[in-house]
Amino acid sequence: MSDERRDAAMQGSPEPLPHAGTEIDDPKFADKSYSQGQLVRRRFFRHKGALAGLAVLLFITLLAFTSIGIGSIPGWWDKDFTTTGSIVNGGKPTLGWFHLGEHPFGQDTTGRDYFALVMRGTQISLVIAFVVGIVSTIIGTIVGAIAGYFRGWAESLLMRVTDLFIIIPLLVFAAVLGRIAGQSGIFALALVLAGVTWTGLARLVRGEVLSLREREFVSAAQAIGTGHWRIIFRHILPNTIGVIIVATTFAIASAILLETSLSYLGFGVQPPDISLGSLIDQYQTAFTSRPWLFWFPGLFILAIALSVNFIGDGLRDAFDPRQGKDG
Amino acid sequence: MTTTDNTTEQPIEGAPVLSFTDLDVKFNTEFGKVHAVKGISLEVAPGEVLALVGESGSGKSVTSTSALGLLPRNATVNGKINVAGKSVDTMSGKDLRKMRGDDVAMVFQEPMTALNPVLTIRTQMVEALELHGKAYGKEADAKAIELLAMVGIPDPERRLYQYPHEFSGGQRQRIVIAMALSCDPTVIIADEPTTALDVTVQAEILDLLRSLKDELNTGILLITHSMGVVADMADRVAVMYKGDLVESGTVHEVLTAPRHDYTKRLLDAVPRLGSRGETPPVVQTEGPKALEVTDLVVEFHRQGRTPFRAVDGVSLSVSRGEIVGLVGESGSGKSTIARTALGLIPAASGEVAILGDDITKMKRAPLKALRKRIGVVFQDPASSLNPRLPVGDCIAEPMDVHKVGDKASRRQKVAELLDAVELPRSVANRYPHELSGGQRQRVSIARALTLDPELLVADEPTSALDVSVQASVLEMFTALQEEYNFGCLFVSHDLAVIDMLADRVVVLKDGRVVEQGDRQQVLQSPQEEYTKRLLMAAPVPHPDEQRERREERHRFLEEVGEKEHGLHLDADK
Amino acid sequence: MTRYILRRLAISFGVLFVGSFLMYVLTINSGDPLEDLRESTANNRDTLIAARIDNMGLDLPWYQRYWQWLTGVGGCFVGRCDLGTDRSGSDVLSLLQQSASATLRLVTIATIAAIIIGIIVGILTAIRQYSGFDYVVTFLTFLFFSLPVFWAAVLLKEYGAIRYNDWIADPHVSVLQAVLIGIALGFVLQGVMGGRMKRRLLTGGVTAVFTISALLYFTSVGWWRSPALGPVLVILVALAFAVGITALVAGLGNKRVLYSTLTTVGIGSVLYFVLGGALDEPNWWLLLGLFASAIVVGLVVGYFMGGYSRGQAMGLSAVTAAFMAFLTFADRLVYAWGSFLQLKPRPISTIGASTPNFPGDFWETTLDWGAQLLLPSILLTLISVATYSRYTRSSMLETMNQDYVRTARSKGLSERTVITKHAFRNAMIPITTIVALDFAALIGGAVITENVFGWKGMGAMFKTGLTQVDPNPVMAFFLVTGTAAVIMNLVADLAYASLDPRIRR
Repeated sequence: MSDERRDAAMQGSPEPLPHAGTEIDDPKFADKSYSQGQLVRRRFFRHKGALAGLAVLLFITLLAFTSIGIGSIPGWWDKDFTTTGSIVNGGKPTLGWFHLGEHPFGQDTTGRDYFALVMRGTQISLVIAFVVGIVSTIIGTIVGAIAGYFRGWAESLLMRVTDLFIIIPLLVFAAVLGRIAGQSGIFALALVLAGVTWTGLARLVRGEVLSLREREFVSAAQAIGTGHWRIIFRHILPNTIGVIIVATTFAIASAILLETSLSYLGFGVQPPDISLGSLIDQYQTAFTSRPWLFWFPGLFILAIALSVNFIGDGLRDAFDPRQGKDG
Repeated sequence: MTTTDNTTEQPIEGAPVLSFTDLDVKFNTEFGKVHAVKGISLEVAPGEVLALVGESGSGKSVTSTSALGLLPRNATVNGKINVAGKSVDTMSGKDLRKMRGDDVAMVFQEPMTALNPVLTIRTQMVEALELHGKAYGKEADAKAIELLAMVGIPDPERRLYQYPHEFSGGQRQRIVIAMALSCDPTVIIADEPTTALDVTVQAEILDLLRSLKDELNTGILLITHSMGVVADMADRVAVMYKGDLVESGTVHEVLTAPRHDYTKRLLDAVPRLGSRGETPPVVQTEGPKALEVTDLVVEFHRQGRTPFRAVDGVSLSVSRGEIVGLVGESGSGKSTIARTALGLIPAASGEVAILGDDITKMKRAPLKALRKRIGVVFQDPASSLNPRLPVGDCIAEPMDVHKVGDKASRRQKVAELLDAVELPRSVANRYPHELSGGQRQRVSIARALTLDPELLVADEPTSALDVSVQASVLEMFTALQEEYNFGCLFVSHDLAVIDMLADRVVVLKDGRVVEQGDRQQVLQSPQEEYTKRLLMAAPVPHPDEQRERREERHRFLEEVGEKEHGLHLDADK
Repeated sequence: MTRYILRRLAISFGVLFVGSFLMYVLTINSGDPLEDLRESTANNRDTLIAARIDNMGLDLPWYQRYWQWLTGVGGCFVGRCDLGTDRSGSDVLSLLQQSASATLRLVTIATIAAIIIGIIVGILTAIRQYSGFDYVVTFLTFLFFSLPVFWAAVLLKEYGAIRYNDWIADPHVSVLQAVLIGIALGFVLQGVMGGRMKRRLLTGGVTAVFTISALLYFTSVGWWRSPALGPVLVILVALAFAVGITALVAGLGNKRVLYSTLTTVGIGSVLYFVLGGALDEPNWWLLLGLFASAIVVGLVVGYFMGGYSRGQAMGLSAVTAAFMAFLTFADRLVYAWGSFLQLKPRPISTIGASTPNFPGDFWETTLDWGAQLLLPSILLTLISVATYSRYTRSSMLETMNQDYVRTARSKGLSERTVITKHAFRNAMIPITTIVALDFAALIGGAVITENVFGWKGMGAMFKTGLTQVDPNPVMAFFLVTGTAAVIMNLVADLAYASLDPRIRR
C-alpha cells in the first residue's frame, strides 16, 4: 500500500468556507479565543474514534513490551518465544473472558507459546513501523521543504522520484530492497523502507511550502533580509506542522502494512526475527487445522493499523477545522 | 440599538417585490451561537434599488442569502420573507427552487469564481432557461445570445461557446448578470457586485445595473460596503451594524443627513477625493533619494510562451520624507514594482537604487545591510503575520535578524512601537489570529518601523480593511510618517486614499507610467485621458454630486467615442 | 496539448529506463543466485552450477548482462522481442505470455470496478455527510485501509469460496436467514436514501419485504442452481434504467431525451428476441461487434429523436443501449449457470487462474473464468474502493463549497443537477490523478493476491524470480507493469485534459 492514497485522501480545501457575516474577525472574539494548541487538543479529544484508537494502540504497545520484556529485561509473562515444549490440548488457545490460562493464544506446531511469539512479532512490527514513519517523515520534510522553497534541482529530483514510484509499485521496489536489507536486521530494513516511502510526504510538504512561500509574511521576512534557512525553519515549517503530524501518522499505518506484506512474501523480516507478517506466512496453511495461528497475528496487524488510522483521522480533523462539523 | 421603522417618506409604488419582516438568523458554530441578524424588516419595491450597507460581519449578506433559502444548514431562520408575493419561509423545497432564478436572481461578489470553470457559458446560461421552461435547445441558445448582447458582450454568437476562463473579470460579471436576467426575475439581489472589480469596470457594471431597473422595472437589493456605490445607485438605503438595522431612509436622507452615530462615523470615514486641498511641497533633502527606479523592466516567464512583461520601462523616485502614491488598476504592475523595489522579484533590466545603491547589482551581505533600512507593509492582514509567532516576536523579528540590541532593549522597543500604533502593550503576547484585521495591520506597520527605516514600501495596506478601520489606520500612518520621516512608496488602487496621503502621484497602466507629478496637479487637473477616466469613475458618497460626476463621465466617454455600458435592448436579436 | 502529452511520455520512458537500471542492479545484488546449488549434495552439482552460470550469464560482468537485456528489449520495437531466459533456461517471453494476461485482466477489472463503486460511494457519503450511512462507510474505508491484504485474502478464500461452494451444493435459505438479510439490506438502503423518518421507514420496509420474499421465492423454485432473468425482467430493468438516467442527467421534463432513451429500450427489446439464436454459441468478436452496433443504434435514435437536445439525447441513448446490451449478455450468462454447475460442482475456485481442460461452451467457459477472477478482484477492488471513495468524498465536499455551486443553486437547479452537473465534474479532476497514482499500488496488491490464490501470474513470476535472484523474470514483470502504468498515466492525462478546459491548449 502506498502513501499516495493517504495523502490523496488527506488534502483539504485550500480556501476557507464562504460564510457570510459570521467571520470570527470581530475583536470581541479575541477575549475568549483559544491558542492553536488548545484548539487542536480540544478538537482531538472530541473525536471518539481517535480516542479509542489511541487507547487501543497504547494498550497493544504496553502489552507487547511489558509481557515478554525488551532485550534482557524480563517481562511479566513467564514463557519466551523460542522455547519449544510439549503440545497441550492440541495447542488450542486457553484465553477466556477472565483468565489467560497456560497458553492464551495456544501453541504452534513445535509447542512454542504463541502468545509470546505474537508479542515478539508485534514488538518488531511496531518498532519498524515507527522507525519507518519517523525517518521517512524527516527525509520527506527536508526534501519537500527544499523542493518547495528553492524549486530547482531538489524539485526536479522529487518529481522524478515520484514518477519512478508511479511506474514501479512501491511494494515491488521495497521487496527488492527488503530482500537485501532484511538479512542485516530490522533496523536496516526499517531504514531501507523509509528510503522508499518518503515521497508522498515530500510532495505534501512541497505543496504546503509552495503556497506558504507566496504568503505575505514570508515576503515580509524576505524583505527585511531574513536568511533562507531561517525563513524555512522559523516561518514556513512551523506552519506545516499539522500536515506533517497527520502525514506521519498515516505513514506509520502504511509502514506496518508494508512491512508485514513484505515479511509475508519473504522479503522483509528474516528468521530468526519474527514479524506479524512472517507469522501469517508461516502458518497460513494451518488455517483449517489450527486457525488461531492465523487469526491472532492478523488481528493484531489490523488493530494496530486501524487505531493508527483513526488517530490520524482525529488529528486531521483537529488540525484542519475546515473539514469539521460546521462545514 | 434603535431600529428605525422602514416605512419611508417616499411612497412605494405597487406591492413590494421583496420584503423581510422581523428576520432573525442565528448560526450554530463551534464557538457557540452567533446571532448574525437580529430581527430586521426591509422592503424593495419594483423598479427600486435598496442599498443594504454595512461593514464585514454586519449580517447584510446573510440577510440577502436568506431570501433565496440558501443559508447553510447550521442556520436558524425566524421571521417572514416574501418574494414576489410568495412567502419563502413556508415554501417547500420544490417551490423554493422554482422561485430561485425565476422570481429572484442573484449576482455574487466574485465573478472569477461564480461561474463553473468546466462548463461553457452556453451550458450555464441555457440550463436556467430550460429549467424554468423559458426556452429549449436552439431557442434557448438564441435567447442566451440575445442576453449576452444585451449586457454588452461583443461577438456573443462565438463567445457563447467559450469557457469562463476566456473572459475578463468585468465580462464575467456581465455574464453573471445576463444569467440573472435570463428568466425575467422580479427582483435581483446583487451581493457586492463590484467589490472585486477595478474602479472603471465598476462604473460600467453600475451603469448596467442601473439600466436594469429603469428599462425592466426590476427591483434590486444592492448589498455593498461602499458609500460611493450607494450614492451612485440607490433610491433608498438601509444601514446594518452587527446584525441590527440602525438606520434607513432615502439616499438623500441617509447620506446627507445621517441620524445614527454609526452612519455618521461610517460616512466620515470615507476618504473623499479633493477634500485635502493644498499642501506644502516636501522639502528636498541632500544626498541620494530614498528610492530611485530607472527604466525598470520586469518580466515573468511562462512555460512554452513568450515572457509576460509586467513592468515596461518605468522610472520614478521617492525622496526622503516624501510619500509617493503609486496608482493603477489590477494588472498595471504597481505591486510588481513595489516587490521589485524590495528585491523580491528580479528586474529584467533597469536600475533600482535604494538610498543610492543599485540593488539589482548588489551582493548578499551589503544587500542584507541595506534591507535593514527598508520597511514593508503588505495588503492582507490575514496573511502578513506569521500565525505561529506571538505579536511581540513578529515585531522584534527584524531586530533578531539584524542582531540589533539585546533581549531587554528589544522588549522595550516592541512596547514603544505598540504604543506608537495605538495598541495595548499586552497585545505582544497574543497570536495574530486573536486580533482583528485592523489590529493586525497596525502590528504590520509596527514591524515595518522596528528598525527606523528610511524607506517604507506599503503595498495596498488598507484595501482589505473596512472603511472605518481604514480611516483610523491611515490617520495613524500619516502621523507616524511625520514622526519618523521616512520616504514611502504607497501602492493603492484607491485614488481617494492616495489623495489623503501622498505628496506626489504616479499613475500606471499596463506596466507603463501614464502620468506623474504633484498630487494636486495630477488629481485636480489631470492631463492624460486614462487619469481622467480613473478619476471620473471613482464614485463619491453624495447622491447629487455623484449624479453630476456620472453625467460628466458619460459626456466624456461620448467625446472619446465609447459606447454606453447600459443594457443594449435594441441589439439585433 | 499534444506537446504536453509527448513531453509526459518522454519523461515516463526516461523514468522507465532509469527504473529498469535500478531494478536490474538491485535484483542481481539481492543475494547469491547459486545459493541452493552450493548447499546441494547432488552428485552432479558442478554440472548444474555450470549450466546455471551459462543460463544466467553469470560469467559476464553485470553491465554486460544489463546491456544484453536492454538490447533484447530494444528488439521489441522492431518486432524481435528477447527478454532472455530464466535460470533454468526457459524463454521468459513465452512465460510472460502465459502469465501477463491473467494479471492484467485482474488489475484492469479491479481498477474499473473500484473507480465506479468508489466514486458512487464517495458521492453518496458526501451528499449524506454525517449521516449514519456516512459513518458506517467511513468506518469500513478505514477498515479496508488497515486490512493486511494477504490475511484478508485467506479469510475470503475460507468464507467466500469454500463456504459458498458447500452451500451451492444444496442451496437453501431459511426463513430466519431471509428475514435477517432483508432487514439488513433495508437498513442500509434507508441510510443511503435518507430523508425524513417516514420516507426512511418506507424505503427500509419495502426493501426488506421485497428482499425477504425474493429470497424465499428463489429458494422454493430452485433458482440458485438454475437461475434465469428472462425477457420480462430484462426489459423492465432496462426501462427503469432509461427513466432513471434521464431523470438524473437531463431531467424528466426534457421529453425529447426521455422518448429517445425509451425508444432505444424498445428497439433493444425487439433485438433481444431477433438475435436470440446468434447468441447460442458466440465468440468475443461477435459480442464486441454487437455491443458496438448497439451503441450506434443508440446514437442514431438520439440523433433523430433528440430535436433541440440532440447531443444529450444521443449520449444518453447510447448509454442506455450499452446497458441493454450488457443486460442481454448477463441474461445469457445467468442462464448458463445451471449447466455450469453440472460441469463444475464447486464453482468458486480458490487456486489458479483458470480450470485446466475445462470442457464447457462459450458461456460456461466465461463463467468459469469469472469464477476464478471473482475473489481476487473483490479483494483488490475493496482496497482501492476505500481510497477512491474517501478521495471522492473530500473532493466533492470541497467543490460543494465553491461559489459556482452556490450560483447554480441560486438559479433554482435541483440538488441532483447541482451535484451531477456542476459539482461532480469539478470533483473528478483531482480524482483522475489519484487513479493514475494508485495503479502502481494496485499492481503491488496483485502480487500479494496472486500469491495467496496460487495464480501462475506475473506476481508469482516476480516472487520466484526475486527469491532465486534471477533478474530476467523480475525485469519482465517490471517491463509489463511499468508499461501498463505509463499507459494508465497517459489515460489519466487525457481524462484530465478533457475534464478541465483550462489546461487544453
